[in-house]
Amino acid sequence: MSRSVWKGPFVDSYVLKKAEKSRESGRNEVIKIWSRRSTILPQFVGLTFGVYNGHKHIPVNVSEEMIGQKFGEYSPTRTYYGHAADKKAKRK
Amino acid sequence: MTDRVCVGAIAGSFGVKGEVRLKSFCAEPDAIATYGPLTSEDGATSWDVRITRSVKNGFAARLSGVSTKDAADGLRGARLYAPRDKLPELVDDEYYYTDLIGLTVLDTGGTELGRVKAVLNHGAGDLLEISGKSLKQPVLLPFTQAAVPTVDIAAGRIIADPPDGLFE
Repeated sequence: MSRSVWKGPFVDSYVLKKAEKSRESGRNEVIKIWSRRSTILPQFVGLTFGVYNGHKHIPVNVSEEMIGQKFGEYSPTRTYYGHAADKKAKRK
Repeated sequence: MTDRVCVGAIAGSFGVKGEVRLKSFCAEPDAIATYGPLTSEDGATSWDVRITRSVKNGFAARLSGVSTKDAADGLRGARLYAPRDKLPELVDDEYYYTDLIGLTVLDTGGTELGRVKAVLNHGAGDLLEISGKSLKQPVLLPFTQAAVPTVDIAAGRIIADPPDGLFE
């Protein structure tokens, strides 16, 4: 069963505070968070969060397409490197 | 820059007519056939690859010079390498993982931070995994214009301007 709409999206309050503080300061920094369960909100777009995966903080650059997802979805808890082969990286 | 890239491996024989079961490591799995002829790890043997059909966990393929099941079985576990120059040219700001791995990472002041160990993508953009003597554990650097203003593959280096707190 999905979450009731009247409650609004869940976000840990400390994540909101840290994001607001970072936006006000205008510094280029990674906001370290442990809350993988928090929903990505529109006001987080453009910020970089370090989402804890139980081992380290994985940098997550929030973009518009990520709104509504949870932070934990972008910070896998298991390591898999695979092969480089012909895979490409795009510098955004 | 490496001159050969591992693009696949042979998982064993397929059927009894000398076909092999091919595992592709490419972003588009069937692109492996376009990079031929593929060579073995030591470069001594080369094969032309023709994919005959798609099977579970890979492809059934025919390799030039391999016509019996025994010969195909003998190749189990062999890794297939393609020449780096067979990979298509990329547009600006796109790089092959294989070109980025091993580059030296310097900060804007010229201090060495480490080397690129791997390139990862967990859905929120590409990340460079940097390891070095001065780092306790590998650091993940977002592969963005802001964090990585310069990539000089010919010189084998990357200039990084990491966000505050990343290399602490």
